[in-house]
Amino acid sequence: MTVTTTRNDSKKAGPWLVLLLAGAFEVGYALSVGGSEGFTILGWSISAFVFFLLTLFCLSVALKTIDVGIGYAVWAGIGAVGAALLGPVFFDEALNPVRAIWLAVIIGGVVWLKLADSLKLDAQKTTPAPVWSP
Amino acid sequence: MSWLYLGIAVIFEVAVGLFASKANGFTRLWWTIATLVSGAIATFFLSLALLTFDVGVGYAIWTSVAGVGIVIVGALFLDQRLNWRKALGILIVIGGVVGLQLSGAA
Repeated sequence: MTVTTTRNDSKKAGPWLVLLLAGAFEVGYALSVGGSEGFTILGWSISAFVFFLLTLFCLSVALKTIDVGIGYAVWAGIGAVGAALLGPVFFDEALNPVRAIWLAVIIGGVVWLKLADSLKLDAQKTTPAPVWSP
Repeated sequence: MSWLYLGIAVIFEVAVGLFASKANGFTRLWWTIATLVSGAIATFFLSLALLTFDVGVGYAIWTSVAGVGIVIVGALFLDQRLNWRKALGILIVIGGVVGLQLSGAA
């Protein structure tokens, strides 16, 4: 019993880490596109292209096990949070208190989704037939 | 015209979600190509739309409509039904992104 629980937990952690990684690459993509100024600056344009491939690859890997609706929301959410946090570092942007509250809302929602997603796994694990309904 | 561009950008963003699921971690060639092409088209039309839309507003509409569209497409084509917990979580995250984009300085 203990062994199967541990294995299921580690199985579930993987896709979520890959999904967060996809979000991180999405941030790199967004910042690169911003820096490329309409793909007129070569270095930023190449960087944008590489991040574009990486983010979609990781998203695709994560979506093998995570529902697409959840995966997309988390992907977009992490991307938005990262861009808002790193924007002020690279470009002339500001992070005001109102935006900080929205960041907290997004992060809270992502954590909630992770818990809701794991809950489904537990339900499937303990009940033999897939009787889970909305 | 900018609304048309935004609509096209949304449709291809929804397609990215569906195709990325089908691509199975980029192990299926044609679904992988479809994912990449859709992603490029979505980005292109979004950038066209954002020439006239306020960036924050345009991006907020794009993400939220695409997020809802992907949930619907997931239920229709991938048989991924949501329970209320997941639906609420998606609502919170997408709502947070919209709030962030509308709070300016984007």
